[in-house]
Amino acid sequence: MEKTVAVVGTGQTNHGKRFDVSWPELVHEAVERALDETNLTMQDVDAIVCGSMPGMLEGTSDPHFWLTDGIGAYGKPVMRIATCGSTGMSVALTAFYHVASGLFDTVLAVGTEKQYEGSSQGVISQMGDPHLIRPFFPGAVAGFATQCVNYVSKYGLKMENVAEAAAMISVKCHSDALDNPYAHIKAKLTVDDVLKSRVICYPMRLWDCSPTSDGACAVVFASTKVAKEIAEEPAWVKGVGYAGDEQFYGDKDMVDWTACKTAVKRAYDMAGVMNPLKDLDVAELYNPFTYQELLWYELFGFCEKGRGIDVARNGVTTRRGDLPCDPSGGNLCTHPIGATGLIRVAEAANQVMGRAGNHQIPDAETALAHAMGGLMQFNGVMILGR
Amino acid sequence: MTVNEVAVVGFAQTKHRARIRNQSSSDLVYQVTREALDSCSLTAKDIGTLIESSSDYWEGTCCSDVVTMEAAGGYLKEESKVEDDGALAFIYGYLRIRSGLFDTALIVSQTHCSQSPPLPTLSNLSCDPFYQRPIGLEEQAAAALQMTAYMKKYGATEEDVAQVAVKNLGNAVNNPYAHRKVKTDIDRVIKSKVTAYPLRELTSSPTSDGACAVILASGKKAKQITDTPVWIKGIGHSVDDYFLGDRNLMENIGLRSAAKQAYKRASIDNPLKQLDVAEICEPYAHQELLWTEHLGLCGKGQGAKLLREGVTTMNGSLPVNPSGGVLSTNPYVARGLIRIAEASAQLMGKAGKRQVGDAETGLCHSVSGLGGQLHCVVVLGK
Repeated sequence: MEKTVAVVGTGQTNHGKRFDVSWPELVHEAVERALDETNLTMQDVDAIVCGSMPGMLEGTSDPHFWLTDGIGAYGKPVMRIATCGSTGMSVALTAFYHVASGLFDTVLAVGTEKQYEGSSQGVISQMGDPHLIRPFFPGAVAGFATQCVNYVSKYGLKMENVAEAAAMISVKCHSDALDNPYAHIKAKLTVDDVLKSRVICYPMRLWDCSPTSDGACAVVFASTKVAKEIAEEPAWVKGVGYAGDEQFYGDKDMVDWTACKTAVKRAYDMAGVMNPLKDLDVAELYNPFTYQELLWYELFGFCEKGRGIDVARNGVTTRRGDLPCDPSGGNLCTHPIGATGLIRVAEAANQVMGRAGNHQIPDAETALAHAMGGLMQFNGVMILGR
Repeated sequence: MTVNEVAVVGFAQTKHRARIRNQSSSDLVYQVTREALDSCSLTAKDIGTLIESSSDYWEGTCCSDVVTMEAAGGYLKEESKVEDDGALAFIYGYLRIRSGLFDTALIVSQTHCSQSPPLPTLSNLSCDPFYQRPIGLEEQAAAALQMTAYMKKYGATEEDVAQVAVKNLGNAVNNPYAHRKVKTDIDRVIKSKVTAYPLRELTSSPTSDGACAVILASGKKAKQITDTPVWIKGIGHSVDDYFLGDRNLMENIGLRSAAKQAYKRASIDNPLKQLDVAEICEPYAHQELLWTEHLGLCGKGQGAKLLREGVTTMNGSLPVNPSGGVLSTNPYVARGLIRIAEASAQLMGKAGKRQVGDAETGLCHSVSGLGGQLHCVVVLGK
């Protein structure tokens, strides 16, 4: 796609347990950092897109009305977007379309969640059709544990091999997070530490699972007209894609996942990505659970179906590999859900703009950001480049 | 990317009622999706992108679009959900087509109010948990404070406000989709039950079950689909401060700013003269008076005079809410999209008994949040 919309700056909170601030204050921290980085004030912002998961997570309906004060949105267009786990990506896409419409030059995307004040799994288990799904839907961990077991069985893999490869991903992400000043959980682990940690929901163990986090992320999108004035090297949006499929688990193939393949193909086609392993320099994949990263390697075309384990083993996706995945630590280490997808975009943009600090991948020119959500339904992809 | 002209080419709404027992939210969404597609002879395959609008609290479901997306034909579509009024989803669909990446968009919005807790309970939960929620603030209470302030500031009377209900509930008699419709008079309105003084049963909207869908198309495509496309001339949306005490409830910055953006884009400098019909969200009767002032249809405090002079009645020069408005029909988040469907019907000449004469340019307005914190304005034209 031609250069029409770019990311010109980002801001993130220090994610974690944030009892020191109210929700609007938390959001303000991210917005202020994004404005500082871009040397903009709220007066320069034409519109705001704001998103979080269901308001039940914070016990407040229509939270954008309240967050207006923390953002400084008074007198400006505000739109609340919520698409479950993929919310952060949907917020980024909405900001992208605001600018692409030609009606807005500078748009602030804000994603946030403050989970320590509520019960995330309690809320997530209230998803889905109230008659057929909800009575037995046990929340995110068990939902994705099903996907993992399906993965092992569909390709005839050995669970111990998959668990070991997943553990390597856990070691990689938690260690990379040490270089990310905003990350929530950071740790030096061994594969053995992960394999011996307690089971949360078989086959997932403690170190296979993301935490719940308080956090916010703000990303400034700009038109061709103003992008170069705001950032010397903006991260241009090269491709976007989003797709959703069946809500009923029994209706779908959750391993060779149609919605994911569709979203990826749309973004690759738009960005002209033919050989992702070669054409991409870094990827920020949505990995709330270690096993899923193996799936993404396959569904994003980094390897053949059923061969994700090989990618984890041969180090291609480590920071020194050909295609580093989640050098920020990913959402395995930091997961304020409504912000998470937007953090993937922010991290990808930072890599392209050369602003990723200690976890910068040298000479990263093209980066992919991804988010997923719903009852294993929604996938969104954004590709950014120079 | 090219910037496209965008038009409304089809729409549908349910027959809104206090309670629709035999259909789920997904059934309502399916019904309006099917009927909107049929209204312009399209199939789900022809739709490029889907924008939904619903509220998790009102639906009693986390991530409500998870449940309804397939019913809206959203399988593998570029979908998104605006968690706010349907008019905002409409604006988002418009932006997507303008980007040049899509030729068609389906916008769907629904609320099944009868399955939810009462409005005061839910709107209290949209208050922050520290300051506004503990004092019991909610939408009706905020609107009651606003109406009191309006009467005090401009010397308006309960009778002035009751006129709005008489007009809109009377207009609703001509609307087969309307929920509450009654030929009434000022006396009956001001003697109806107090809900939150000075608001009464007939000056406050009911809550309804219902859904609405609108189909948008890019310029070239729109002309292929229909002979009567309704063009989007301008949009605007904006938000006011959050805390009620921080705001001037008589001067809504959200609506002033939304109207200014929409009028500028639609090249409207004299709205009273240039508009032929308006569908304005008035969950509380006095708000129609206030919003007509903020929309620049008359001066401050002149809303009641405008109505008394008959300008905004069915036979006036700018009929406001020929459909009966939100006072008659209020499937909460869908009500803004219904305004757009109604104004489009007027401009297409398909409004049946509620049709106003020679409508060329129409205004649609939506509101959400306490005392009207967030407003959308859409100007449509032939």
